[in-house]
Amino acid sequence: MDITSLFTQFLSGLTYGTILFLVAAGLSLIFGVMNILNFAHAALWLMGAYFSYTFWNLMQDYSFGFWLSIPLAGLAAAAVGWVMEVVLIKRIYKRELYEQLLITYSIALILSDTIKLTWGVTNKLIVRPEIIQKPVFIFGAPLDSYFIFVILAGAAVASGLWWFLKYTRYGHIVKAAVHSREMVAALGIPIPRIYTWVFTLGIFLAGFAGGIQAPIGSITLGMDTAIIIQAFCVVVIGGFGSLLGTLVGSLIVGEVMSFTILFWPEGAMVLIFVITAAILIVRPWGLFGTPMRT
Amino acid sequence: MDFRKTAAFFVTVIACIIFLGASGVKAGEPYNLGVALGLTGAGALYSADGVEGIKLAVEEINAKGGFLGQHKVELFIRDSQTKPDVGVREVKDLILRDKIRAVINDYSSAVAMAVKPIAQEYKVLHIASISNSENITKINPSPYTFQVVPNSYMQAKAASVGIAKIANQKGWKEYITIASDYEWGRSTQAEAVKFLKELAPNLTLKKEFWPRLGETQFTSYITGIMAMKPDFVFGSVASNDNVAWMEQAKTYGFFDKIPYPGSLITVTELQLQAKTLPRNMIALTRAPFFAHMDNPMMTDFVKNYRAKYNKFPSDWAVLSYDAVYALKQGVEKAKTIDTEKVKDAMKGMTVNLTRGKLAFRTIDNQLSCSSYMGTIADDPRYPFPIYKEIVEVKGSESERPESEILEARKAAK
Repeated sequence: MDITSLFTQFLSGLTYGTILFLVAAGLSLIFGVMNILNFAHAALWLMGAYFSYTFWNLMQDYSFGFWLSIPLAGLAAAAVGWVMEVVLIKRIYKRELYEQLLITYSIALILSDTIKLTWGVTNKLIVRPEIIQKPVFIFGAPLDSYFIFVILAGAAVASGLWWFLKYTRYGHIVKAAVHSREMVAALGIPIPRIYTWVFTLGIFLAGFAGGIQAPIGSITLGMDTAIIIQAFCVVVIGGFGSLLGTLVGSLIVGEVMSFTILFWPEGAMVLIFVITAAILIVRPWGLFGTPMRT
Repeated sequence: MDFRKTAAFFVTVIACIIFLGASGVKAGEPYNLGVALGLTGAGALYSADGVEGIKLAVEEINAKGGFLGQHKVELFIRDSQTKPDVGVREVKDLILRDKIRAVINDYSSAVAMAVKPIAQEYKVLHIASISNSENITKINPSPYTFQVVPNSYMQAKAASVGIAKIANQKGWKEYITIASDYEWGRSTQAEAVKFLKELAPNLTLKKEFWPRLGETQFTSYITGIMAMKPDFVFGSVASNDNVAWMEQAKTYGFFDKIPYPGSLITVTELQLQAKTLPRNMIALTRAPFFAHMDNPMMTDFVKNYRAKYNKFPSDWAVLSYDAVYALKQGVEKAKTIDTEKVKDAMKGMTVNLTRGKLAFRTIDNQLSCSSYMGTIADDPRYPFPIYKEIVEVKGSESERPESEILEARKAAK
């Protein structure tokens, strides 16, 4: 196995990790701030992919349609997320974790059926512009040219979230709410409104990630069930609520998958679960997380 | 009062009651036909077309009064979600609640195999029109289960014959397989590897890849395979997974670098990926309509299907349409809709289908149907590429010998 092949595999892991990061970032943010384990996150990610297809379809005649459909998918999913938070999620903040899981799981099923009723059961395919239909070569290693955009989008989301949390007033409030929501509330900051916007932002990220996923393969019902498991692995490894943890967890899962496929294809997913289980036993709050609030 | 006439009348009435009671069939009784296909999940893409084919067949049959001109076919369609537990639950419900006499099921061989014993237990006919693992009919055979699609053994043999020829011509030495990690993918890959060993003994299997069913990210598999530089790759990836795999492999220039002969590229993929599918690829499929446009039944089917759905029928529509017509002809041969009699009538029966005159094998109820290999190329008659230079590998050329089936059954016990 030459160095170029190993580098190619590294790039594959990087792209896979980026896709996982985009899905898991919203999941982790919502849990970190609101203590809600949103099982419907992947269903909203899938809805984002379908929204992206619809927008792309409407704007097929325009060269920018393909690119614009991705952020629009995020916005459309965010609108759904906002309604979901205001109507349902708001009522379950103080419930037990298992009740939250059951409710968000029910929402996931409702969303799946809504997708089926809206877009039908046949899968959808977004045709990429000619310019990103061929591979590019980085030091001799081939890379799907669309993945350059995926990696850049992942980097932009990571740095954007980091900037938001570190340098903006709202970011500081969100961070403070992670540690003590009572203290934040005592300062007169309306926690429910903060929660609504954090949830909406998390779902925007899910929809945006769905829009990014859409042109990679076909969009099909059931895609969400596979990705949610891997997204949970990412946040368990990295630590719920930690942006850095989510990024590192995604890259770990992506690279482990990529290299295990090369040397031990049957064991790729097994190894991810072994790492996840080990983290849960040794450090339940993940590599970069903090022990859970009670 | 004429005592003899009265007695004869009552004897006739009682005989009719006994006869109809014994067969459980009332005149004009509707024929409840169940359909349990994976309408969501990995099988959604193929199953939706299957349902369309079934609906069209039922409409045509009902327009002529139904089975035997008197039993209207009533359809009960359920989603197996491509999951064995859900498939079993839905089929049981179809049997107990909707009183179906036959069920067409499933996209997934794993689901079809889980449903087989249920159909046998409740004495309901079970027709596999899309799922094609050989084990559906080979091991633990059920007299109620019939398969109208070329099974995994037949497809693997057909592909292997073609690949071995090319491998010998081109001097290929090493190959890699990529197959979906479930019943169909595993059995097709195993059979292909076995045949290639027999037909091209110089070939070495370098590596096996098993992406899980429902995989959406094939990038690491693609780059991993490309890094190993095999002479060719044999693939058994189906439905949505196949679309994702092909689309992603294409963007890496995979097909320009590595030959990918004999993989399943059905009319669904030909239509869905019309613009992007690499041309000149040698591929395999199960029931392409364009291979039988000389058969009036196929020409009519394509015409009616296009009129109803405004598109050309996929393999799955053809196969599922054929499943209904095979059942119809079984009913006609039995002269009743009584399941026991239809089941017996269908054993070894020759049927007239869109793919020609074909017979069910007595040993396993497998339809002796063809597999099709060809080169993907554009055709001005269709808005998508089709197969050119089609090689039709007949059922008789690709079936597993009966002696091997008996041995396998003995070993399974």
